[in-house]
Amino acid sequence: MFLVWIILLPLLGAALSPLAAQRGRGVAAWSAGSASGLALALTLWQALPLTADSEAHISWSWIPQLGLNLSLRLDGLALLFVILVLAIGLLVILYAHYYLPKSDRLGRFYALLLLFQTAMLGIVLSDNLLLLLLFWELTSLSSFLLIAYHPHSSEARKGARTSLIVTAAGGLALMAGLLLLGHIAGSFELSTVLASGDRVREHELYFPTLLLILLGAFTKSAQFPLHFWLPKAMAAPTPVSAYLHSATMVKAGVFLLARLFPVLAETEAWFYLVGGVGLTTLLFGAYTALFKHDLKGLLAYSTISHLGLITLLFGLGTPLGAVAGLFHVVNHAIFKASLFMAAGIIDHETGTRDMRRINGLWKYMPYTATLAMVAAAAMAGVPLLNGFLSKEMFFAETVHHEWLGALDWLLPTAATLAGVFSVAYSVRFIHDVFFNGEPINLPRSPREPGHRIRIPVEVLVALCIVVGVMPGQTVRGLLDAAVTGVLGEVPYYSLALWHGFSLPMLMSLVALTGGVVVYVLRYQLFKLHDRWLPRVSSEDLFYRFSRGILRLARRFMQSFDNRSLQRYLAWLIAVAAITAAAPLTNGVILHGGADLMPIDGVSLAAALILAVAAIATVRMRHQRITALIMTSLVGLIVTLTFVHFSAPDLALTQLSVEVVTTILLLLVLYFLPGGERLEISPLRRVRDLLLAGSSGLVVALLAFGVMTRSHTPISEFFLENAKPLGGGSNVVNVILVDFRGFDTLGEITVLAIAAAGIFMLLRGLHLPLPEHGFGRRQWAVDVHPLIMAAVSRPLLPLALLVSLFLLLRGHNAPGGGFIAGLVAGTALILQHLASGLQWTQQRMKRRYFTLIGGGVLLASATGLASLLFGRPFLTSAVLHLELPLIGEVELASAMAFDIGVFLTVVGTVILILENLGRLSTQQSAQPPTEPEEMR
Amino acid sequence: MNFETPDFLPVVPELFVLGMACLILVVDLFLSDRSRVVTYLMSQATLVGALVVTLGLSSPIAQVTMNGTFVLDPMATLLKSVVYIASFVAFLYAKDYLRARSLFKGEFFLLGLFAVLGMMVLISAHSMLTVYLGLELMSLSLYAMVALQRNSATASEAAMKYFILGAMASAMLLYGMSMLYGATGTLDLGELGARVQGAGPSSLVLVFGLVFLIVGIAFKLGAVPFHMWVPDVYHGAPTAVTLFVSSAPKLAAFAMLMRLLVDGLPGLHGHWQDMLILLAVLSVALGNVLAIAQANIKRLLAYSGISHVGFLLMGVLAGTPEGYAAGMYYAIAYVIMTLGGFGMVILMSRAGFEADRLEDYKGLNERSPWFALMMLILMFSMAGVPPFLGFWAKLAVLEAVVSIDLIWVAVVAVVFSVIGAFYYLRVVKYMYFDKPEDEHSLVAGSDLRFLLSANGLAVLGLGIFPGSLLALCASAIG
Repeated sequence: MFLVWIILLPLLGAALSPLAAQRGRGVAAWSAGSASGLALALTLWQALPLTADSEAHISWSWIPQLGLNLSLRLDGLALLFVILVLAIGLLVILYAHYYLPKSDRLGRFYALLLLFQTAMLGIVLSDNLLLLLLFWELTSLSSFLLIAYHPHSSEARKGARTSLIVTAAGGLALMAGLLLLGHIAGSFELSTVLASGDRVREHELYFPTLLLILLGAFTKSAQFPLHFWLPKAMAAPTPVSAYLHSATMVKAGVFLLARLFPVLAETEAWFYLVGGVGLTTLLFGAYTALFKHDLKGLLAYSTISHLGLITLLFGLGTPLGAVAGLFHVVNHAIFKASLFMAAGIIDHETGTRDMRRINGLWKYMPYTATLAMVAAAAMAGVPLLNGFLSKEMFFAETVHHEWLGALDWLLPTAATLAGVFSVAYSVRFIHDVFFNGEPINLPRSPREPGHRIRIPVEVLVALCIVVGVMPGQTVRGLLDAAVTGVLGEVPYYSLALWHGFSLPMLMSLVALTGGVVVYVLRYQLFKLHDRWLPRVSSEDLFYRFSRGILRLARRFMQSFDNRSLQRYLAWLIAVAAITAAAPLTNGVILHGGADLMPIDGVSLAAALILAVAAIATVRMRHQRITALIMTSLVGLIVTLTFVHFSAPDLALTQLSVEVVTTILLLLVLYFLPGGERLEISPLRRVRDLLLAGSSGLVVALLAFGVMTRSHTPISEFFLENAKPLGGGSNVVNVILVDFRGFDTLGEITVLAIAAAGIFMLLRGLHLPLPEHGFGRRQWAVDVHPLIMAAVSRPLLPLALLVSLFLLLRGHNAPGGGFIAGLVAGTALILQHLASGLQWTQQRMKRRYFTLIGGGVLLASATGLASLLFGRPFLTSAVLHLELPLIGEVELASAMAFDIGVFLTVVGTVILILENLGRLSTQQSAQPPTEPEEMR
Repeated sequence: MNFETPDFLPVVPELFVLGMACLILVVDLFLSDRSRVVTYLMSQATLVGALVVTLGLSSPIAQVTMNGTFVLDPMATLLKSVVYIASFVAFLYAKDYLRARSLFKGEFFLLGLFAVLGMMVLISAHSMLTVYLGLELMSLSLYAMVALQRNSATASEAAMKYFILGAMASAMLLYGMSMLYGATGTLDLGELGARVQGAGPSSLVLVFGLVFLIVGIAFKLGAVPFHMWVPDVYHGAPTAVTLFVSSAPKLAAFAMLMRLLVDGLPGLHGHWQDMLILLAVLSVALGNVLAIAQANIKRLLAYSGISHVGFLLMGVLAGTPEGYAAGMYYAIAYVIMTLGGFGMVILMSRAGFEADRLEDYKGLNERSPWFALMMLILMFSMAGVPPFLGFWAKLAVLEAVVSIDLIWVAVVAVVFSVIGAFYYLRVVKYMYFDKPEDEHSLVAGSDLRFLLSANGLAVLGLGIFPGSLLALCASAIG
């Protein structure tokens, strides 16, 4: 249970801090400090004395579907980090209280700091990979908020954003990596994962898993080339830097390496990736640090370098390497935190961090100077200080490593070189700042700070010395426990100060003297550096990369998002055609096996005309009337095709629909603005041609494929039952009025509603009339030519007769209410067209609503009538009548239904066309000329 | 072929919404503009009533009725409930926005209700016919809603594009359905599944039909490369309409995906998995990359939505119950987040100022720290940062694809969400780090403020306690 409290206490503190800050800064510091302190005390009380068996572990199921459990475990490794995080956190809280300006009430600061601490504790205590990930991302978020603590400095904003982008991106990579790891191990519980090391290392996904996890760890631990966020994050207030970049944030990556060491390490890939990156970072950081004139910049690169060192130690993959790595984690945290704090004090007292201006501070603040110098000496690896011990172990490890074969000398040499630079920048930190003449142009006159702010530094520096002198009595126990947490056992190692004259000792000596020499020669080096420094940094690369993506996005915008409907349609059709054609390439046989009909002359001719008419429509699209005629030619050929394949019903329907739609289009096209003929670039023409051609081809192939496949048509049922059940021999009509009578009733109802809607939409609508037709041609003066009127009038009774004929015989022979309605409607509309609206309306009352309503009512009544006879809705009955003269007449009740359909269709057609027509005539310049002589 | 009176009980929610919509239609005719709020209140009451009825009818056993064209199962109950809630929230967010622009008419709420009805039918579809019926009812209502602001040229253009492209997509869907019908002779989705198993997956016609089916589904979801309408419609439509279009219909489209592919064509899983992988990867990639270049927040959210659809598809393509549950979880999470996102755009806007440029969010923290925090939560959640809702959704779908060894898909998705994090972060930067350009105080009713806060906090709360929603989705898949 206490594990939960270790995490909860800082979180509670975070929540309380803003409240405590209301009562003053001191209260805020006390509450924050007691949160950390209590957690630390609890940890020490519960977990000490340390034995291998005293591991605490708790687990609750949280989201079992995802494999996420609230599992926490405190083993030696976790303990080491918990103590680091809490202890240094406590010192930072104290330091911040004196460091941050009095105007800051500290509530927000402590809340964020403790939130961050919670996240860090979560990482190290998690016993579940997903839980770890959760806390991992939380550290990115809360560190972002900490770095941006002064949001109005543009540097802080940029630093915060860069660090968030890099570390959050790394976090997402880690997410993928951990998912893979959990997938391989079969569980996200760390204890299970740690036990399945062999399985993971032999798995085929080992390499991508490793790569992704390392990406996460390296971004967090600022490894080259992903290190650039760390120097930028120096814009944060110094207490934040002291905390994040010594003991916590950057150590999270290293912690992950240690945590997963048993699972992932000891492979070649691990050695080359982790070791290689660590080595590069070690050298790069040490080298760059020397050339930084900013005090915190120097410390930032030195941090990068030391993290590289730790990474390299883990990368070696040896047990002793891991021991040295963990030891250096502790040592680095101690001396780096104190150095950051010292740098903060110097910044505070002098008002600048530029080492070219801060000189000779020894005279002004001897006590602080002493503290800083001891810490810097620890960083350089001077004997009797803690840094020396782990550095010796590091040198020893590089000497004993044997992976590189003939190149074995490379590792110790590089390590020594890094050591040289490390000593050089440490000496620079000491000598430039505290000696080296007089200060130049300081904004403030420096003096010794108040003694309270120095307390945390004193504690840390004391630790440097104590650990450096008595390692066995101080850290040995903790280190052993941590090593057990990583390796499961403690390998033999010695923390003695003196190992006799050995190669590592020699390397240390070389590093120390070399470092001093390099420092003495620094001005020459600065010049060389300024001239020869490679101008490409990974930071530039990162920004170039993000700019590149932006450019790429903009380019994509032009091709995918240019807001042109034509372009969208082109994409839609092209993709549909390609995906539809894709199965064809899989070697699927297109021909389904049905026999093909022979190609006869008539079909061929029809197909040819169809093609020509279609192409002509496109060619003549600007001459609308001609194009319309071409379209109706297509319709006509389709009609003839139906006739050819003996489908008279379809042919009749097609024909009448064709006529009505042509008139409709004619009326509507009149209003379409003419405009100028658009120039289409040849390229686009080709594109459209290809698109149209290929999608046509694909559709044709699909149709071929579908139609050549055998299937059992449902027509058999209707052919057999039309007469006995429906009382008619025209199957199509029987389906419409009987088998699917309900559907038809619904359809005519919809038709009626649509008619009413159209009527309402067009009522009172005024559209601007185009003054001239295509190509600025004038409209004809004679709107209703005499000959047309003369021919149309005798046609009316004839057409109505035909329509009646079609209606009556519909049930048994081609025809029916729908077709008849269209024919009658067309005939009536013809009168409007030929003789004008006024003329027609004088002779024909507008009764379309009566027609439509009557039709729907009649059809419904027919259906309801069958209910009277106890039969289901719309059951048809057949009546045989013996009429004089005519003989026996078969009257199906369906006939009445069909008449209802007929009436609705007639009414709708007239309504729509007449009202559309009225739009173009009601305000035309000259009133329609009445063919007077016809009266 | 005989007509039987079906069991109407499972259809009661649909009938209720239909009846209420018709009633409101008539009532609205007799209302003056000043008392239009009655329409609004009745619409909201309808949604609440539908929720109550739906929950009252919920049962763990699937009931098929209306001659096998309609099914009521736990998935339908859950999705419908979320649709009601999302629509309720969308109507509430929309109310003040519409009023300020004299768009506060009955049409918005009525079309909205009919769209909801369409979604309900679609969600409960058990036949290709019902799928199409629901889809068209929903789509036609949405087209009209986009065109609601008749004096706005961009809105009309958006509606026109939406309609033409949507009609094309519907036509292709219908084409695909006709092929499936031709190959199997049934429209019933359960029967279809059985007959496809019998026909064997190599049947050419089936695969052709599947291709066109997926084109239709992908269009409605807004997956790349059938996404072109999304940014234009989201951008062009009044924000209140965008809010609605971007939220509940996505759930219906998800249901369509589940009904057609998972219920109807499980036998072709291998085929549709490949196609969905392609759609998912393209959506995640293009959605995230194009989002970076946007200067308009509505377009940005549109592209972000496209990338979210990619993630949603990843859950479904896994073809496992866990994957379906993850996909559904993602869909619901997305709807909650998009409601909040567009709700913020509405909150920031006022008459004559749409607040749809990214610059308009500069310095929001100084103008209203609380809503800046809400937006921050929403943005981080969309980026998939823990502990917010979006993270769990991403995690669930990624686990689903990893579990079927589609590692590369997961990796690609992660890489592009890293890129995606960039543009969400840009909004955060504007809000917190820049000086405000606009000094007006936010005008919004207290109901909007309250619900929007609840919305933002829900993203956080469901992120801290993600288990229950996920368990709900898992039990709905069964």
